[in-house]
Amino acid sequence: MEEQKEMELPEIRKKLKELLVENLSLEDIKPEEIKDDEILFGEGLGLDSLDAVEIVVLLQRNFGIEIKDMKEGQKIFYSIDTLANYVYENM
Amino acid sequence: MKPNKQSQNINIRKRGNKFGFWFFKALLKLFGLRKTYGFLYIVCLYYLVFDRPAVSAAMSYINKRFPNCSYLIRLLHVYRLFISQGKQLIDRYASVSGHTRFDIQLNGYNELIALLQNNKQGIILLTSHVGSWQIALTALKKAGRTVYLLMRSEDNKAVQSSLNIDREQDNIKIISPDQYLGGIVEIMDVLKKGHIVSIMGDRTYGAKSVEVSFLDKKAWFPFSGFAVAAAVESPVVVLLSNKVSACKYIVDVSNIIYPRYDGKYNKRQQLHQWVQNYVEIIEAFVKKYPYQCFLFHDVWSE
Repeated sequence: MEEQKEMELPEIRKKLKELLVENLSLEDIKPEEIKDDEILFGEGLGLDSLDAVEIVVLLQRNFGIEIKDMKEGQKIFYSIDTLANYVYENM
Repeated sequence: MKPNKQSQNINIRKRGNKFGFWFFKALLKLFGLRKTYGFLYIVCLYYLVFDRPAVSAAMSYINKRFPNCSYLIRLLHVYRLFISQGKQLIDRYASVSGHTRFDIQLNGYNELIALLQNNKQGIILLTSHVGSWQIALTALKKAGRTVYLLMRSEDNKAVQSSLNIDREQDNIKIISPDQYLGGIVEIMDVLKKGHIVSIMGDRTYGAKSVEVSFLDKKAWFPFSGFAVAAAVESPVVVLLSNKVSACKYIVDVSNIIYPRYDGKYNKRQQLHQWVQNYVEIIEAFVKKYPYQCFLFHDVWSE
């Protein structure tokens, strides 16, 4: 049986949204307004590479997770869903 | 970091052709370094008279550095700047080909080594278009750490040939910003491993920039190097290179900035302050050595 994780997926998604709004320059956006499947970079939420710096640090500080592989990063950074899944699997 | 679409369309005009390079290489072999410099006075005069875009690009800087001079005197300054750059281009080839051995005095080297030894994280080396940063980088090979250059693919060939980089045994490698998220994951990874990442600090290439004061005028400089440094808590070392005589360079790595976000203040304001600190270092340098600034780009234009 799979070990019980400290946080469940919906909780991780909520936490990630709060962290993004708190730490990135997302003006006038509330955490609950970010859709789970919204594209984070470029079109969609409009984040850029400097925001990626912050996300890499946020994942490390809040969940103890490091992203080292760029190809891996491309899949992980796609949306809140993909980010949350990665956090859930690697926590 | 990753340039936007607008910046990707910027056409950086490359001067010189195969014949020109061959000509100067032949001169170097036949006559040596100092006599080859002599030919520059004719070549640069040609550029001064016929290459209006080159003169215009140089004038952006010369106008700010020598604001009270007449147009003719400013043209003379442009001419001296072209010659100075030409000499450093010849030096670059002379150094790489092994024709000339340059004496490189490294100021701040011990502090840099201490910084690398005392920090778990690597450092960001902020380079600028002053002096020959390529020769300066070769001087850092003895630091024993791999230096990763953040560099666009179209600039790779010239720099690769001038630095002999990316051979397996070499300790200078390239990270391309033309990849997903501008290579940011790779940059952070190599910094965490304690390596050195070299980022150009004075050209935005369309990346995010902040307004600072440079030579008493408003100018725009990128802040990406400081944003990465603050995020991973790496120090930023400003690399300056100064050609002091035909065969001698002084490379200075003694200016160190420690970007750390303070939660009490706005991040953008803090980034602005760090960039302004860096620009003040560059400004002091170009005030002292006006003909070693090869910033042929109008950083004063938004």
